[in-house]
Amino acid sequence: MLDTVFIGLSLGSVLLLVALGLSIVYGSMGVINMAHGELVMIGAYTAVLSQIYLDINLFAAIPLAFVICAGLGLLIEKLVIRRLYNRLFDTLLATWGVAILLQQAIRLEFGLSFFGIHVDGLGPGLQSVTVPKVLSEPIMLGDFVLQPYRTFIILISIVLAAFTWFLMYRTRIGQQVRAIMRNKEMAAACGIDVKKINALTFAYGSGLAGVAGVMMSGFKTVMPDMGSAMVVDGFLVVVVGGVGSLVGSIVASGVLGQLTSFVAFFSNDIIARAVVFAVVICIIVWRPRGLFNYKGR
Amino acid sequence: MTHSHLKIMAYVIFIVTVLMLPLALDEFWLNRTAKYLIFGMLGVAVSLSWGYAGILNLGQGMFFGAGAYMLGMSLKLASPTSLEQGTESPIPDFMMWNAEPNAVIDLCCINSGSFLWIPFQSQTFGLIMAIALPVLFAWALGSIIFSKGISGVFISIITLASVLLMRLLVVDNQALTGGFNGLTDLAWFTVFGYEFDPYSVTTYYLVACSLIVVLLLTRLLINSRSGLILQSIRDDQNRAKYLGFDAAAYQTFFFCVSAAISGFAGLLYVITSEFASPTFMDLTFSITMVIWAAVGGRASILGACIGAIAISMLGSSVSESELFVESWQAILGLCFVLVVLFMPNGLAGIAHGLCKKFVARQDDKKQRNEQNKAEELTKGGAA
Repeated sequence: MLDTVFIGLSLGSVLLLVALGLSIVYGSMGVINMAHGELVMIGAYTAVLSQIYLDINLFAAIPLAFVICAGLGLLIEKLVIRRLYNRLFDTLLATWGVAILLQQAIRLEFGLSFFGIHVDGLGPGLQSVTVPKVLSEPIMLGDFVLQPYRTFIILISIVLAAFTWFLMYRTRIGQQVRAIMRNKEMAAACGIDVKKINALTFAYGSGLAGVAGVMMSGFKTVMPDMGSAMVVDGFLVVVVGGVGSLVGSIVASGVLGQLTSFVAFFSNDIIARAVVFAVVICIIVWRPRGLFNYKGR
Repeated sequence: MTHSHLKIMAYVIFIVTVLMLPLALDEFWLNRTAKYLIFGMLGVAVSLSWGYAGILNLGQGMFFGAGAYMLGMSLKLASPTSLEQGTESPIPDFMMWNAEPNAVIDLCCINSGSFLWIPFQSQTFGLIMAIALPVLFAWALGSIIFSKGISGVFISIITLASVLLMRLLVVDNQALTGGFNGLTDLAWFTVFGYEFDPYSVTTYYLVACSLIVVLLLTRLLINSRSGLILQSIRDDQNRAKYLGFDAAAYQTFFFCVSAAISGFAGLLYVITSEFASPTFMDLTFSITMVIWAAVGGRASILGACIGAIAISMLGSSVSESELFVESWQAILGLCFVLVVLFMPNGLAGIAHGLCKKFVARQDDKKQRNEQNKAEELTKGGAA
């Protein structure tokens, strides 16, 4: 029982890691970023590559991935997203194109494979990351086996959620982001540089995706199309939780994580996913605006 | 020549081209082209729901897949391997592989769900179900969604979750659906003893005529009164409601029509390609359909249709060479970003613009001629 709860908690925290960035981007900018999963994938590859070439461990790859993905996010915002504000569906489609591009960039090793050059750690194949020893040896607490890596993921997601909360509710920039969320025109009229704040928001969301990617690389095989399933899960969490609601995303990922874990315990993984989808559909039909949603807007 | 003349001309050119193609292609390419035409039909379905109803359905593959599986089940039971199991009723081979050791070898009870297959021994039943099931799904989903007033992205998320849910159920029920492998080794589609060889000209014409009929009927439908009301609901739902129209009913109806077209495309696809697979219900495939419509022009039935045909044709001819397989994907992704950014109405939008210019120039000429004539007349009068 405790095991199942614990697995649910760690599944939920993985969901939260992916959903956190999506939620901020969607909530404040009204952009559906289908490339978010690919940013997670880039984060995972950052972990792989930094291990091969820079010889640094997983912990050190976390800030690196954050910086790289945030930079990439900034670029995507400048080139694509910026031109598509107020065209919700078009952001979905354009970022899907971006997602394909990112995937192929990794598969084709940034185009080098045309010239017969192979870069270790890139390409269409599967990659993996060695997890530091501290995180790979299970700890026995009486009957309960504590998986350190899962615990680590839970901790990281709590830290990131707390940090995001701090940014959003205790800093000047966060205040501006929330102002934009409520009413973009009014915010602009009050002297907030909406373009700049949006670019920063998108970069921060992308950076979170990068961190999520590093965490994923520790327990999943890393491959170019690992991201597409994740973005779907992420969106389900965001929509169920309520767009733009930090608390909503946390609760929704917790609930969906536990649901997956318990159904999987009684049947199998596929049925668990199917049940999650069914429950999500019901929740959206029941409360289209999500479980937690502030009034207004 | 007016704008609508040019539009009719575009339709005529398209239809004639489709009908003339067998003169130029060999059997292999005919079969392939038939598949692209089926994708064209999917383009029509997406354009109808996205361009005209304003519903971005990210789960169109659910209807396509349902159509494909329904006829696929009938064709599976009619295949020689199923017929020659040495039992009274035909039994699909994958059911034999999955059978419990002491199971009764009969379609009624070889596994707990196999009785569902019994009516599919009739191909007519399979045909009817291939349209009916998608429509039923669409009606069930649509009547809930639209009567609750759910709109925009939330519809996309619900349809997306539904298609993935269905894919999981199909994959998980291996004994009933063939699981990951789908339905393979199917019989040919047969009407009154005539067998439709997928690589024959007849099958090509079956597909081509179906496409043309669907295209024209959809065209008629969107120009009908209900089609116009649908478009008004898309543009301003509240205003349409206050004018007394039952918005939910219209939306549900057109959602079902779009599903029926997709289901029809699914059953044609099974006839031409001889398999049904859970990949029809992959998220990627459903989004690819949307890409076709976006590139061709979401607000144009013909544009979306041509977009689908052109992209899939280009895609598969490019991926003949190994070097291009992966880079084609990248090129497609890039094209897609560029189309969304710079030509939101797709190829059809560009064609539309050109037509407008052409017509305007002609009008100008006409006006100038008349002016000249008038001037000459007045001059003559003065003299």
